[in-house]
Parts: sequence; C-alpha cells; structure tokens
Amino acid sequence: MALAEVLLELVLIVSAMLATATLVIVGPRTIAAAVLDFRWRLEACLLPFAALVVVLLLRVSTRDIVQRLERRVLRNNITPYLFELDQALFGTDPVAVLQSFQTEFLTSFFVFIYIYGYAFLLIFPFIAYFALDEMDDLSTLVVAFTANYAIGLVCYTLFIAFGPRNVDPLLFEGLLYDAFPQSRTLTNTVNQNTNVFPSLHTSLSMTVFVLAWVTREKYPLWLPVAGFIAISVGLSTMYLGIHWFSDVVAGTLLALVSVYIGVNYTIEGMIESVRRFFEAKFRPSDVEGE
Amino acid sequence: MNDGAPSTTRRGLLATLGVGASALAGCSERLWSQAETPGSEQVSLIIKTVPADDDRIAATIASRLRENYTAAGINATHEPVSEAELYRDILLEGEYDVFVARHPGLDEYDALYGLLHSEFYSERGWQNPFQFSDVTADSQLEAQRAADEDDRPAVLADLIDHLLQTTPYTTVAFPYTVSGVSEPLQLPVPPRRLHQYLDVMSHPENGPRDGPLEVGVFGEQLTDQLNPLMVDRNRIDGLLDLVYDPLARWIDGEYVPWLAETVEWSEQGRTRATVTLREGLEWHDGESLDADDVAFTLDFLEDTSMGAVDDGVPAPRYRGKQTLLDRTDVTGPRTIDCYFTETSRSVARRLLTVPVLPEHIWTERSAVVADRQTRAITHPNEDPVGSGLFAVTEAEAATGFELEPFDAHVFRDSQDRPDLFENFSQFEGITFRISPNPGAMSDLLVDGEIDVTVSELPPEIARSVRNADTVSTVTGTTDAFYMIGYNNRQNDLGNPNFRRICSRLIDREHAVSEFFEGFAQAATTPHELVGFHNRAFDADLEDGDEMPDLSFPGTDGEINTSRVRSLFNEIGYSYDDDMLLE
Repeated sequence: MALAEVLLELVLIVSAMLATATLVIVGPRTIAAAVLDFRWRLEACLLPFAALVVVLLLRVSTRDIVQRLERRVLRNNITPYLFELDQALFGTDPVAVLQSFQTEFLTSFFVFIYIYGYAFLLIFPFIAYFALDEMDDLSTLVVAFTANYAIGLVCYTLFIAFGPRNVDPLLFEGLLYDAFPQSRTLTNTVNQNTNVFPSLHTSLSMTVFVLAWVTREKYPLWLPVAGFIAISVGLSTMYLGIHWFSDVVAGTLLALVSVYIGVNYTIEGMIESVRRFFEAKFRPSDVEGE
Repeated sequence: MNDGAPSTTRRGLLATLGVGASALAGCSERLWSQAETPGSEQVSLIIKTVPADDDRIAATIASRLRENYTAAGINATHEPVSEAELYRDILLEGEYDVFVARHPGLDEYDALYGLLHSEFYSERGWQNPFQFSDVTADSQLEAQRAADEDDRPAVLADLIDHLLQTTPYTTVAFPYTVSGVSEPLQLPVPPRRLHQYLDVMSHPENGPRDGPLEVGVFGEQLTDQLNPLMVDRNRIDGLLDLVYDPLARWIDGEYVPWLAETVEWSEQGRTRATVTLREGLEWHDGESLDADDVAFTLDFLEDTSMGAVDDGVPAPRYRGKQTLLDRTDVTGPRTIDCYFTETSRSVARRLLTVPVLPEHIWTERSAVVADRQTRAITHPNEDPVGSGLFAVTEAEAATGFELEPFDAHVFRDSQDRPDLFENFSQFEGITFRISPNPGAMSDLLVDGEIDVTVSELPPEIARSVRNADTVSTVTGTTDAFYMIGYNNRQNDLGNPNFRRICSRLIDREHAVSEFFEGFAQAATTPHELVGFHNRAFDADLEDGDEMPDLSFPGTDGEINTSRVRSLFNEIGYSYDDDMLLE
C-alpha cells in the first residue's frame, strides 16, 4: 500500500465520520444555511486562517533546517529524562502498564482512534463552528491551533526526544507500526521520530475538548464526543508506545496555553499591538503629521 | 550602669558564643574534610545507541545492557541517537561513554590496526574511535604487519589475547543477513556486497528481464549523501560498492583484480606492488581513468586538504589501509608502483580494496570549509561519479532512486572478466525503493512491488514474510557484528579491568536466542570476541593459556548481583548502599 492508498482510505473513513457527525450534531438545515452564505463567514476569519497557513508553511518549509538545527547544533537529547521522569512519577513505567492490558480489540481501537479518530476530532470543529451565527469560536479555534503548532515547532527544535517504542524494545512495544506499518508512510510525511515532546496529538485533541467545553451551550452533544475521543487519543499515544506520560502532560498544558491564547487574543489584536509598538518606537524620528 | 559587671544576659551571650564557637570548630573540621575530600560518587555511564526504528536489535541489546549495568550498581542511562548522529558522536566527536552499534565487519586481522592503533588517537572517523592507547597493542599491531606468514599467527594470537585482557570494545554477536525474496526470483545469497548482487543479476533463471532489479530498503535520509569518505550519514549497505570500483576486490577469500589487470609483487627489501590497470577504463562522466587517479586517491586519503592544512586532514575512512603505503610512483598512464611500509604482502593487499576516486572531481574538494574540515569530507556527493558497474542517475530523495548500467565498464562485454560475470546481466540496472520501516518494506515485497529486500529484516518481520505466500526468506552470513564500544577517556572506562567486567555483563547466547531469534552467532571464542568469525584459524589462537574468564556472571540474560559485586570488588571497587562507587 503506497501513500496514496493510505491517504485515500483516511479520507473516505474520516469523511463518513464527519458527514454523520454533521448531520447529528449540527443538523442538516443549519449546515445548509451556513454553506449558502459562506462568504461573510470566511471573510470574518480570514486573518486567523492566514496565520495558521503561515505557521504550517513555515513548519513544512523549514523541516530540513529545523532537523539539522535540532540534531546537529542544539542537540538537547531529553529522552533519558522523560524515561526517568515517568518512572519517578509512578514508580513504574506508565506506558508499560497501559500496554500490559493489551488485547487485539484494544490495539485496533487505539490504532483507529490515533489515526481516524484524531483526524475527525480536529476537522469537525471547523464545520461545527462554521455553522454558528458568529465566527468568534471558529477564530478562537484557528488561533489556538496556530499557537499549538507554533509552540510545538519551537519545542521540537529545542528538544530531541524519542518515544518509548524507540528507546527500550524490552519494556515497550511499538504497537502502532507493528499492527499497521503503512501508517508510518503517513506519519513520516508529517513528523519525525525525534519529535515526541510535547505530544501534539494530545495538545490538539485537548484543545478541541476544552473549546467544546467553552461552546457546550451551542453544541451540548459535541462535548461528550470530543471528550471521549480526546482522552482516548491521549491514552492511545501511550498505549501504542509513541509518547511518554510526560509528553501527554506537556501536551495537555500546551492545549490550555493555546486555548488561553485563542480566547484572549485575536490575530487582528496582535497585529495592532505590534504596529503600535513600532509606531511608539519610531515616533521621535517621525517628523511629518502632527 | 554601663560600668557594672557584665549582666547575666551578657555572660549568657558570651557563654553561648563560646560553646557555639567550639561547636563550630568541631563541625568545621568535619565540613572542611568533607569539602576537601568529596565522598565517592556512583559510577555513571551513558549508553548510546540508535532508536528501535533504525535498528531494533541494537536498541534491544542496549536496553538489556542498561538493565544489567543498573543491577550491578552502575547509574546507567540509555540515550537513543539517530543513526547519523550516533556515528557523529562516536566517530567524529568522541562524545559517549558506551555505545552499541552494528560494525560493518573487519576484512582482515590488520583491520585492527586502523581500529586501535594510538597513531590515530586524535583522528576522526573509524580510526581508533575508542581513544585507546596501549604501547603493547601498538607494537603487536605493527609486528603483525611486518611478520611473515609463518610468524604472523603467533603474533596475532598474542595480540588477540592482549585485546581480551584490555577490552577496548567487545563483540556481542554476528547477525545473519536475511533477505525477503519474491517468487520466482532465484536468490543464492542475500545481496549486500557487489559480488552478491552479481550472483542474483547473473543467475540464469532470473530473466533476462526488460527492466531493473527492484530492491527494497528502509530508513530515513538514505539518499542524502553518497560520499564514500563520510561516516556520519545514513547509507545503504554496499551501494557505493556498486558505484565505485577498487583496484581489487576481496571475494570469497581471495583478491580478484578489478580495475587492475595485473598486480606484480616484489618482496626484496620493502614490499612493492606494480599495478597495471585494465585498458580503456572510464569514469561515469566519460573521462578516462588512469594511474594518476589511483595515485591521487591514495594521497588524498592521507590528506584531503592536499597540503593546505598543517599535518593534513585525513579521510575518516580507509586510513588503516592507507597507512600501509609509503609512496607511489606513476610509471605510465596504466602503471603505478606502490611502495609499502614494513608490511608483508598478505597484509599489503588490503590497500588495493579502497575505492578509486576521480582526480578531476575531487581535487577541488580539497578546499578547506571549516576548522580541520575539507569539502571532501562534508560534501554530500549527491551525483557520484565513479567507475563502477552502475551509475546513479536519479536520486529522488524520499521514495527511491535508480542505478543504471554503466555500459562503458570494461566488464560489460569483455571476455577477460572474473567468472562471476557469466550470464551478467539479466537485468537493466537496479531500482532502490525506500520504505519508512521494515514492515512497510515487507508489505511491498508481499504485494509484489519489489523483488528482494536488502535492509536487514528484523526477526519478527522475517517470520511474517516466511508465512506469506509467494515470498520467502534467504539467510546468509556477513562479517558485520554488534559491538559494544568504550570511550577510554571516560574515568572508569579508562581502566582495562573495569572494561573487561563490563564486557561480561551481556549474555551473548541469551541475546542470540531472544533478540535475534537464533539468526546470529554469539561471540564466544577469543577471535570472535574481537570481531572475527568464519575464519580458518590456527589452533594457537584458540587455546591461549592466559585467556581471561569472559563468561556471563548470571543466567538467562540477567546478572547474578552478588557475583558481579564480587567481581568489581576484586578489581578494587567498592559498594555503598547497592551503588558501585568510583
């Protein structure tokens, strides 16, 4: 199975999940109405989307530079600390404990959650918040995602960290890639195996969950669904041997920070304050005008 | 009131001060002595190895080693480092305590010279990465070069014995090579080296086919660099063998003349070889290959800056072989005399196996790009120009690349070529398909998209390949081995007795049965423990009477703590609260 096939399967399954959820949680009429007057909605959150695109492009375009900087210049390998921190917190390895409950069903469930559940969880809020009467929540979501990626990128440059499956094959199993080796084709194009601290899977999922709490009055049904999937994603990253407990905790913290940024700041506001800063700085030399 | 006798409070205060001062004095003595002679600290070792993605077996050996070190009271940490960076840490920067890595194999006993001679103490690369310096070993390494065929076995026996005593590194096991193959391809041996590729590509039942041999490999950044001199990047084993040719190749126990048509030896005085090149040799870019290229290559390995840097910038590879040479003398476009240092012919032959580089391309790479770095040892060489049977045409970074047949190669249609070229070639070139991990690689094989896998199949994947229809596995042997290396500059690892006990803390037979699932040979005999196997050996070497006890102090992979403690006690180490003290 090549990358194209893996992608096709992902698209089909996630589309089906999105369609179902949209019909049940948003409602066919609301979504149809929203699609009909999409123009002002998109205009309203153009700026945050532009910011997200910039960060994502930055991430893709600097992949080689970041990797070189991370691995050859900064070289902060924190893997042993994560391993020892996990042990110190629990007196045993939380990942190994989770994996000791291993059954075929659980493995399939967590592989499904890790790949399809995660993709669904990240995309659905875009649809749901797009269908609302105001675009504030969508903007918040986009800003929060942008913050996640931006902070994550900085952490990935600063720290080299390998996940449990890569460190100690005697203690931990690499269940994801044993069960579904082709998923590596997918994850490899998005990420490298030295980028596990913090867990962006967890942070983006928890971001969606926290925002689901913020918007619980608009979409009461979404809150339990988002909560179930988000917590399952966090668990799956550990069960599948990809992340340490510390990564998941750091991911959750990152989610809280990102939501805080998303709720309290807007891209317009940030641009405005940057402009004001420079205006204030250059005012003395600015002779024209007043 | 001021003139009055000291008040009770004042007297009390003085008394308190007096007591306090004397108490402090006693206390300070203790403080001072503690400050002056800090207590012993626990021995700490960081074990570096590749992540399981790169080599699951190396990661597993390191895990077991960490557990055993910890049980022995050592504060052991296991730090995974990506393959390219691991080589950088251990071979270029000496930043490690202990490493576990797969060594590509030692071609001849003289390979120990490059690996261990203190002449290379400060050189970067595969020469003396352990920072080992031992005058006895140095003189034995020199003696085995000079010794004649009758004396050499005894010198080697002493050398190996000495290396077991001093243990600059140790060998865990010799893995078997395992390739998956898709029917109906006939695979005599798993292809890793050039002649094994030739075996597949000239097998009468494999073709002829209008297309390339499709080969599967896995790993990251495999195509980023194709520089034969670099050591700190990932590579596909044997690939550069297909692109670059040496004067002669070591194939199945003999030297087969390759670019050389003949090699005439003279052993009057210093050993000398007169090499005559084949007629009509060409580089992939159409330039002609002559004796000047050979002389250039041999000089270049010694100093890639070509004199621009004082004392030179030696290549990080092939230096052990290069130091066999004293000087060269080009006597004609196809003839060159090689004058060796004090070396017997059987050792001197190793020099002929270094890849020959094109002078017209590498001369300008002598440019110095940083402190003691030349372009030659930092350049990725993404469009390699060699003289080998295959030329790199298309290096698509992520998914794979193609090697096309080099039609101007003298072996392509001459009659005067080695026997293994019979029926060569049934294929048009070779295509390498790169997968992210072994599982994805074996899926390609099962789906029939590739003919054969070349990156090592881990045991559990090999099992699933054997269980699938229309595919099977083929097993072979290699000189490669899993090595545990010690940084001799680290405090405790500078002590040979300490290293020798550390080398016993891995259960080699248990590792072979559990981690390799039997697809390896454990290192047990003296010459295996220094990295040689599959070799006919003089009986002298097998029963050295001073062979140290190198058995595993424990059972089923786990050490017996009290036995290990007494071993460390015997060499002067002590324990406090289950911690081994420095």
